[in-house]
Amino acid sequence: MFKIIVFLIFSAWAVISSLGVVLFSNPVYVILWLLSALISIAGIFFVAGAELVGALQLIIYAVAIAVFYIFVLTAVPWEKALKKDSHYRVEGVMAFPFIILLYIEMFIVFTLGVIASPKKQLKLFIERIGNAEVVGSILFSKYFIAFEIVSLVLLMGMIGAVLIGRKESQTYDGDTS
Amino acid sequence: MMEIAINILIILIKILVILIIALGIGAYLTLVERKVAAHIQRRPGPMVVGWHGLLQPIADGVKLITKEDLFPRYGNRFLYNLALIMALVPAVLVFAVVPFGPTIEIGGREIKPILTDVNVGILLVFGLGSLAVYAIALAGWASNSKYALIGSMRKAGIIISYEVAITFAVMGPLMLAGTLSTFEIVQAQIDQKLWYFWIQPVAFVVYMFSLLAETGRVPFDIQEAEAELVTGFTVEYGGIKFGLFPLVEWYVEVLTLSAIAVVLFFGGWSPINIPFLGFVDPLFFLGPFAPFVWFVLKVALLLLFVLWLHWTLPRYRIDQITAIAWKVMLPLALLNLVITAVIAPLIWR
Repeated sequence: MFKIIVFLIFSAWAVISSLGVVLFSNPVYVILWLLSALISIAGIFFVAGAELVGALQLIIYAVAIAVFYIFVLTAVPWEKALKKDSHYRVEGVMAFPFIILLYIEMFIVFTLGVIASPKKQLKLFIERIGNAEVVGSILFSKYFIAFEIVSLVLLMGMIGAVLIGRKESQTYDGDTS
Repeated sequence: MMEIAINILIILIKILVILIIALGIGAYLTLVERKVAAHIQRRPGPMVVGWHGLLQPIADGVKLITKEDLFPRYGNRFLYNLALIMALVPAVLVFAVVPFGPTIEIGGREIKPILTDVNVGILLVFGLGSLAVYAIALAGWASNSKYALIGSMRKAGIIISYEVAITFAVMGPLMLAGTLSTFEIVQAQIDQKLWYFWIQPVAFVVYMFSLLAETGRVPFDIQEAEAELVTGFTVEYGGIKFGLFPLVEWYVEVLTLSAIAVVLFFGGWSPINIPFLGFVDPLFFLGPFAPFVWFVLKVALLLLFVLWLHWTLPRYRIDQITAIAWKVMLPLALLNLVITAVIAPLIWR
């Protein structure tokens, strides 16, 4: 009962913040609404008992990723922040079918999950050996190859970013003379 | 029903104690800092208000509260005030996962001196700790001033760099303890008869660098840099609003991160450790209070160490700071991680 009330508070908070992200025009407020949405989703994870995922949501999304938006945003001049040219109405309407598709997909995944463990064995399993251990053991046994491939892709992305961001010393030789 | 009421009462008392510790001691640390700084420079420090300046923080507080509340003309008032809240709340919230001592019994009821013993406590510390960057970025932007903006951008750059290093540094102790809960980490060190400092000195050095960088202490106080930036992102704040930022950054955050360092590297509330042999407790005569005294003592020593560095060292340049983070601290932390992974099975036995 108590759990449901807290869940409802967090989900209402998430919905309101998401609306804020879409409706506000000042980019600074948009970032703050996004941050609020991410924190409320972390709260939902905590209520559901997925503490590890909740904490990672806080660290990775709310801090590491949203901070880069802040970086961009602090470079936005004051006058530009108040203009309202960031809303794309036609594109918004066109995106609607995809949103419905997304919801259908979420519903399918959810029902698949319920079918996969109808007696809540997975939940009992998590409660018995703890959150981080479950994630670790599943990642490094059942999904090991997928995990390795993902880490390889990330490594390639990182090298690519370094290559793009790097300034070759000889290309600037002519300019500095 | 009675049971629930008592539990809620206990939680409320814990919150009250933590708030008093975080804000009250935080305020009094200003006096400690001024005294330490003064004695490092062979001055007496504050001597006028109260005996050896003991009432100075109260006088400072009254002065700051009664000052006029100025606001920059083209600033954004909502974000300007929101930045204050976003600085204060996460810093104090971190205290929720700091364990102050072992489980105690009061009236047949077992009480853990920690607000919530979540099993991802350490991750929460760093998640909440780095939320402070928003407060600084917002303060810089909402003030609509170039000095403030430059200061906040510098700070954001530093926090992003050192957040990576500190997270990898704490992975070593976490691996040895095999848990993410702060309470259990201390318990693991007591069971293994080993402060993790003895086999994780590299991780401790990286942690201390990151602590200084994240709290903006010298040698990393580049976001304030009085000489060039006239105190950086706080330049447009006045009165108690100006007082809150250093209070949070320099005192509350240093306090929390020192407490977490004690938990991770110095065995929390355990007495002096001889590696693998056991504990020596010169304070045994204090009985059940000894663990709490040990914890406070260790945090205080670490804090004095930070103050000592602050009043001794010069300041790094911003490019040197980020270069240290990425080229020295991160490789060191990763190397430490690999070595720890090799020796960890020996510690578990």
